[in-house]
Amino acid sequence: MNEPYVDITGLVKEYPNPKGDPIRVVDRFNLSVQRGEFIGLIGHSGCGKSTVLTMVAGLNDITSGSVIVDGRETSGPGPDRAVVFQSPCLLPWMTAYNNVMLGVKRVYPTATQQERHDLVCYYMNRVGLADSMDKYPGEMSGGMQQRVGIARAIALKPKVLLLDEPFGRLDSLTRMELQDVILQILSTEKITTLMVTHDPDEAVFMCDRICMMTNGPRAKVGQIVSIPFGQNRVRADVLSDPRYYDLRVSLIDFLDKCEKEKEQAPVTDSHNPYETTLQPQLALGRLGVSS
Amino acid sequence: MSDENRRTATERIKHFLLQVIDLTALGFLEPVVRLIYGEEPRVQIRKIGRFVAVPILAFLCFVGIWAAWAPHHKTKAGEVPTPSVVSEAYTTILTFSEREDSKEEAYLLSEAERVPLLQQAEAQLLKARTTAQAADEAVAHAQEADTASKKQLTERISEQLKTHKSTYKQERKTRENALKTELGTLSSNESIARVAAFREWKSKQTRLQKSMKEDLARIRAQVNPKVQTALAQQTSCAEEVQYLSSYCDILSKSNKESKLAAIDAEILALQNSMKQADTKNRYKQADKILVLHERRKKVEASSYAKASTLPMQIIRSIACVFAGFLIGTVIAVPIGVCCGLSSTFMAAVTPFIALFKPVSPIVWLPILLIIVGGFIPDPETHWLIQWLWDAPLIGELKINPAFLASALTVAMCSLWATMVNAALGVASVDEDHLNVAKVLRLGFCARLFKIILPSSLPLIFAGMRISLGVGWMVLIAAELLASSEGIGKFVWDQFNNGASDSFAKMFVVVFVVGFVGLILDRIMIIFQRLVSFEGSVAAI
Repeated sequence: MNEPYVDITGLVKEYPNPKGDPIRVVDRFNLSVQRGEFIGLIGHSGCGKSTVLTMVAGLNDITSGSVIVDGRETSGPGPDRAVVFQSPCLLPWMTAYNNVMLGVKRVYPTATQQERHDLVCYYMNRVGLADSMDKYPGEMSGGMQQRVGIARAIALKPKVLLLDEPFGRLDSLTRMELQDVILQILSTEKITTLMVTHDPDEAVFMCDRICMMTNGPRAKVGQIVSIPFGQNRVRADVLSDPRYYDLRVSLIDFLDKCEKEKEQAPVTDSHNPYETTLQPQLALGRLGVSS
Repeated sequence: MSDENRRTATERIKHFLLQVIDLTALGFLEPVVRLIYGEEPRVQIRKIGRFVAVPILAFLCFVGIWAAWAPHHKTKAGEVPTPSVVSEAYTTILTFSEREDSKEEAYLLSEAERVPLLQQAEAQLLKARTTAQAADEAVAHAQEADTASKKQLTERISEQLKTHKSTYKQERKTRENALKTELGTLSSNESIARVAAFREWKSKQTRLQKSMKEDLARIRAQVNPKVQTALAQQTSCAEEVQYLSSYCDILSKSNKESKLAAIDAEILALQNSMKQADTKNRYKQADKILVLHERRKKVEASSYAKASTLPMQIIRSIACVFAGFLIGTVIAVPIGVCCGLSSTFMAAVTPFIALFKPVSPIVWLPILLIIVGGFIPDPETHWLIQWLWDAPLIGELKINPAFLASALTVAMCSLWATMVNAALGVASVDEDHLNVAKVLRLGFCARLFKIILPSSLPLIFAGMRISLGVGWMVLIAAELLASSEGIGKFVWDQFNNGASDSFAKMFVVVFVVGFVGLILDRIMIIFQRLVSFEGSVAAI
């Protein structure tokens, strides 16, 4: 196996606690991602998956551990790790076009006016908003705003695309449309992607591998599952594939188990993070899937 | 097809109107527009009733209470003016300013324009003189009738008083003597009672006399409404005559052109006489000619020395408030933004805000007057004042140190709201928007101009709106104190004037100040709406 493109090792996040020991939200999180891979981070709400993502993005300080992207350790945020937030986060005083242009100007400082314009138009076109470039965020629906958010992130030509529950606030029909939009773009752009989600269907449909996190505090990688559907997925095919439901069931089983464990015995300090990391093959073998 | 087009066109006009109404926050006009377009007439009429009719009704109630109460309160400056008196005073103010305007115009007119106007004005003057005479006669007549009727009333009472006085004097003496002889035969207690009864009788009689005197005084002081109207008529006629005669004067010989022609003629005469004059006189005459040339220059540059009118003073006040507001904003916004960016800077500035914010304009003004006076000891020659006088547009305001001190007072009192709001706006920029800046690794300038400032502009403008309101309030007091030409000075002049209508003129100022303040507020609302965006905090 070649060198991982994104290598997250021993990532820890602690928040100071005025009443005693600091609260460890994420405890020694490890993950290796290959170039072009689409990784899903799934877990119960509050388990720290968004914390991991924001630490990778550099928006959240890392207590200890390291994030290496393309052989270089990251420090602070940067346009090489573009983020699509849960809320679209567009600047409401700028048109959609200018929102995208803001990043493009920053990443292509030497490009001519025309080249930049073409780039913005291209990506707006890719997300299906060629007609709405001069609209202000306030005049667009939530789905359209999130499309602009996606265009803004991808136009940066990032090494890693970080999606933080990007469809969390959308209705299920819009969500499906946007999932297709992202998959289409990624099929040509081949950007390494990390996506936080709490929707098993979304994770199975979109990801190459799904990283399930145990419940926080002291969240870590619980289990990693490979999804065998390959490139250029079509929703109807995936849905009709018999393995789809098995994968979905195994995800929900894991999440259920986490929830029960948390209820029965709160996580103790003696837990070894590496022990519980199941081999993906093993999990898939149980499901009767060969990768 | 054309029908369809027309419909979309009218729809577009309607949307435009509604947008303008929304932008200017004139919400009460919305149901009117919707009613015109026949949209749910019953709902719109109910809305018009609530948002248009009710305020008008409330205002009418206020005017009614005012009109009923005002005549009952007597003051040193006469009765509190009723609404009708105030509206009369308003017309007087307007007439005065119109007359001053026409005089100013007349000063600059050329010969050809002047002559027909002069003829017209002279005819008017003749007519006005006859009416003035009639008014004088009417006043004399009314006063005569008044004194006659008063005399009738007072004669009887004074007669009564006279007889009462003489009888009282006699009776007091006889009673007193009778009492003195009687007292020898009585016991001490009884004599005290008798003397007390006598004293009571005396005081009753003097009270009676006093009340008669009071009656007399009241009747004499009574103002006859007929005399009053005749007097008012007389004053207005006299004013018109005075105006017309000075207007004719300006149209004929006090005109700029006539003045110049007169000087030219004098110069020419002197030059002619110089040819024949001997050497001794030549020196004198040359000197005279030079003096005349100087005077000619002065006249050429002169304009009509206009008396200050309320419209002029309003314009000056508005200019002054904007000057102060501009100075205040230029100081407040950068400091406020720095406060929002850096908590250290905020810590440094907080004591100043806390200490100076509550200071009254009445304190700032004398201090600033002295400071400005120190910088500009001689306004006639100071470069700044000269520059301001020569500048286009503002040159006509003839900005002086008092104006500058007033403007600085406005700035000192009004900048705090803008500063605090700017700090708040910058400090409360949406965390998500800052994250966008972080991911893009925007530089400081880009972050400031693309994210922080646009995001805090609505709050900054909300602060500026408060500042302008405060500034306008402060300015009137400052002008009053600094004697800087403006609305405040107008009030002060009226207060010191004591003419019959000066109290009413002060009431006019109340409405003028209120109306101008309202317009300024509307302007700021429009600006605030223009910089606001969807979901911004200050979208009021």
